[in-house]
Amino acid sequence: MRLSHFDYYAPTTVADAISLLQSKPDAHVMAGGTDLLIKMRHAGLKLKTIISLKSISGLNTIAFDETKGLTIGATALLADVAIHPDILKYYPTVAQAARGTANVQVRNMGTVIGNLCNASPAADNAPTLLAMGAEVHIQGPSGKRTVPLDQFFKGPGMTALEPAEIVTAVHVPRLTPHSGTAYISLSARGQLDCSAVGVATMVTLKEKVCEDTRIFVGACGPTPIRVPKAETIVRGKELTDDLIDQAGVQASAEATPITDVRASADYREKMVAVLTRRVLSQARKRASE
Amino acid sequence: MKKDFSIVGKSVPRNDGKAKATGTATYTDDIKLPGMLHGKILRSPFPHARILNIDTSRAASLPGVKCVITGEDTPKIKYGNWRLFPDTQDEYPLAIDKVRFIGDEVAAVAAVDADTAEEALELIKVDYEELPGIFDIDSAIKEGAPVLHDYCPGNISVNRKIHYGDIEKAFAESDYVREDVFNVHAVSPAYLEPCAAVAQCDLDGRITLWTSTQVPYIVQCLLASTMGMRENDVRVIKPFVGGGFGGKMELRTWEFCAAFIAKKTGRPVKFTMTREEEFLAGRRRHAMKLYSKVGFKKDGTLTGKDLRIYLDGGGYNAMGPTATFLCGTFGAMLYRYPNYRFWGQHVYTNKPPASAMRGFGAPQSLFATESQMNIAAEELGIDPIELRIKNAQVTGDEIPDVATISSCGFIEALQKAAEMSGWKEKRYSPKPGQGIGIGCYSFISGGVFNWFNTQFPFSAAEVRVFDDGTAHLLTMAADIGQGCDTVLKQILAEELGLKMEDIRITSADTSTTPQADLGAWGSRLTMMNGNAVLDAAKKIKAQLFGAVSARQNLNVIHELGCKDGMVFPKSRPDRGIPFGEAVAMAQKANRGEPLVERGYYTPRDKGLVTPAFSFGAQISEVEVDKDTGVVRVKKFWTAHDCGTVINQMAVEGQLEGSIQMGLGYALSEQFVMEDGKTLNTNFLDYKMPNAMDVPPSEVAHIETYEPEGPMGAKEAGEGLAIPTAPAIADAVHHATGYRCKDLPITPEKILAGKKD
Repeated sequence: MRLSHFDYYAPTTVADAISLLQSKPDAHVMAGGTDLLIKMRHAGLKLKTIISLKSISGLNTIAFDETKGLTIGATALLADVAIHPDILKYYPTVAQAARGTANVQVRNMGTVIGNLCNASPAADNAPTLLAMGAEVHIQGPSGKRTVPLDQFFKGPGMTALEPAEIVTAVHVPRLTPHSGTAYISLSARGQLDCSAVGVATMVTLKEKVCEDTRIFVGACGPTPIRVPKAETIVRGKELTDDLIDQAGVQASAEATPITDVRASADYREKMVAVLTRRVLSQARKRASE
Repeated sequence: MKKDFSIVGKSVPRNDGKAKATGTATYTDDIKLPGMLHGKILRSPFPHARILNIDTSRAASLPGVKCVITGEDTPKIKYGNWRLFPDTQDEYPLAIDKVRFIGDEVAAVAAVDADTAEEALELIKVDYEELPGIFDIDSAIKEGAPVLHDYCPGNISVNRKIHYGDIEKAFAESDYVREDVFNVHAVSPAYLEPCAAVAQCDLDGRITLWTSTQVPYIVQCLLASTMGMRENDVRVIKPFVGGGFGGKMELRTWEFCAAFIAKKTGRPVKFTMTREEEFLAGRRRHAMKLYSKVGFKKDGTLTGKDLRIYLDGGGYNAMGPTATFLCGTFGAMLYRYPNYRFWGQHVYTNKPPASAMRGFGAPQSLFATESQMNIAAEELGIDPIELRIKNAQVTGDEIPDVATISSCGFIEALQKAAEMSGWKEKRYSPKPGQGIGIGCYSFISGGVFNWFNTQFPFSAAEVRVFDDGTAHLLTMAADIGQGCDTVLKQILAEELGLKMEDIRITSADTSTTPQADLGAWGSRLTMMNGNAVLDAAKKIKAQLFGAVSARQNLNVIHELGCKDGMVFPKSRPDRGIPFGEAVAMAQKANRGEPLVERGYYTPRDKGLVTPAFSFGAQISEVEVDKDTGVVRVKKFWTAHDCGTVINQMAVEGQLEGSIQMGLGYALSEQFVMEDGKTLNTNFLDYKMPNAMDVPPSEVAHIETYEPEGPMGAKEAGEGLAIPTAPAIADAVHHATGYRCKDLPITPEKILAGKKD
């Protein structure tokens, strides 16, 4: 497909990027371009203006602080997140999701924030960050604001961003003591694939009791979705295998998958139960370590 | 019969390896000619429709557009590879009156750049009258089904029957008769280089076409006939080609359009397909529906087989007639069937045409054979390998109306595969969730049939030798990545006693390499072209031996040989003469005429199918996740008989590629289609396994010596693509109790069918 002719800007500050976005309302923000350029080349997206964030210094920072937690900048690469020592140590599931996204070439260009802003229901990085209670830092014409990630996704390709707003970072709080996370995704091809279904969870234990949990399912609805009733089943109770099984069945009931080229609705529904079961027991194990 | 070889049998690096690895190899799309136009094809959005009117005026007036053509502008001559049976030639380069699948070619545009050509496509207005479409075999053969081609009212374009022995009597006398229906799906050859062609027309009106093809000679002939030109006025050159697997063995629309527009505009024209076009409309392996009935005696002796196959051909015949013929032949290979009946029918549907693809009917036919052997073994209470050994073909067996098998290492392959894999232990003391399974194959080393009706020998080679000790090999054989340039050089180097670097090769240019060659398909090149190279080399040697014999005043009883760059009497190696000097002497004796010889090969008196058969057995070990149904193949063990291994590395490469392809065929690849429309037209959603998905594997070469093959060699290119799917299916059954008769083996099917 013909790539439309477009103007390309590479501002060096967030403020400049925002004013550019204000002056060119049809402009599109780009980080790695691994989704955007494909849409332009193969899906008929015709853009007049692209604003790259790559020249804004400091925006690719990955910062970890013992008390504040983790901040991943808008242009931090998936490849860098996947091997960052602090992320590997304190947020292993975040690193795992980044490492499991697409392929080496895409990870070397693409970003975690880009994966979120593209707002695909199948985005590999979303479920874990959602389960961990991450929030996105947004900057726009009217200043800065912070939005919990679970209020960020509005539909396939749609987010809570207002015109001329940019996501500058995602912030992930530190895991509380005795907490564990897990993410498992499935696809038709073993490696290098787009997930047909994925489930992430965070579990906090007090002795054997599940003090709190958040469970998110990917690729089974218009956005990654939370399965609150499944959470209710285990929250406040001793996290037994039996209870975990029940939570899986409930999560499956709460998911709203469709049939598409990657899997049937029926298979997805069944897999939500299986994966929910598996992430809960993995997270339980990690929480008690 | 085995000989000591110097170069044959070694791991010789590929001729083209360095150029491809460094990116300097020139593929068709890399060719740029002055003033070259870029072409694009308008394709049908409907699976079945009548074309009422095409208005190209807006497209033609778009600045930068130099030419727009539709079927009406062309000579309206049909083409197809079965020239001997013109009724089977059912395709026009551009649609006339009707379109028969989504992606069928309707018009072509050439413009100053590809973007402009693409934009012009949107300006072509086509009025269609939509017709009801048929998308599966059962609907197509139903009474009163919509008809795709007027000449073919029942939508069955090819019938092929084979019958020998008395099949009804055989079943009546059997202790055990098994009947199954298998459905196998279409998959893409997914060659990494999408099709491309560049055409140039000289001032005398002659065409030169560079094209990504497996069959330069066939393209030359069919392009000439479709353009209404003489064959010698068309020159086809095959540059580096990035894979074909059967998908590039016919004349194709863009080759015609490039030539036609080049002639019309006087400017060179290039067409390059996109990956989306390849998935949407490209050639593919036939989906088939197979009804197979086999009979056995209690002790496991096969009594006969009755095989009925419907091929889902898509909108046109393409290579479907050959696939229809061959899937019947393959049905009677591997095992001794004293009684055999086959009926194959090629069915038109409103889908992209299926065609040749690695195995050419065998992966489908032998999936049924091998699955049924495994089912029968289980029900007869005989080990599947024992059952196979009991019925295995052996050297000297005759397949009625086909051939006598002149070399066969099948039993040895079965035994070796069992030993390497630890079959007994793993099969009979399985671990939970794990399984081990077997699949086998036999394949042809090139076809004897001549439906193309070539007037030339099947293969040809020209060898020129020089007084500097070098040689030049010219052949029309098409190296499309399978490595025949390297293998043919090895055979020549071995025969003339030269080194690889002493030999220059020019291949696949129809105006400079010797007439003719049927192309790279049916695993024919090592056998056919290897023999032609040997024939030419032997003629060269006769001349050199004469010259050396005269110079050394040898007794006529001396036999001479060529080795290590020397020509020498075998009994007196010390009286050898360097190769180059021997050439100089022969040339002097001929008063300066260069020493050039041509060699040819046409299989004669070798039956109607092939001069030689390969054999092999493959065992796979899998692990199945009982909750998700996901299959992980842990390892493959393959023992195969390709006769003399000419190049170890090349044969192992063929095996690795075959496993990758077989893995996709078995587990993950398929076209997701809805009413004739392909929904997964990219590699993200067309699930071809990649390097990371391919499990480790071990191989054993069971070397036999094939008397008809060059230096004892047989095929190694396609047969290996056959056993992987049945071996995985058997292993999955072993692990889960689910027996797949309906490829691919998806997690959903496993979950639905598993026995806990």
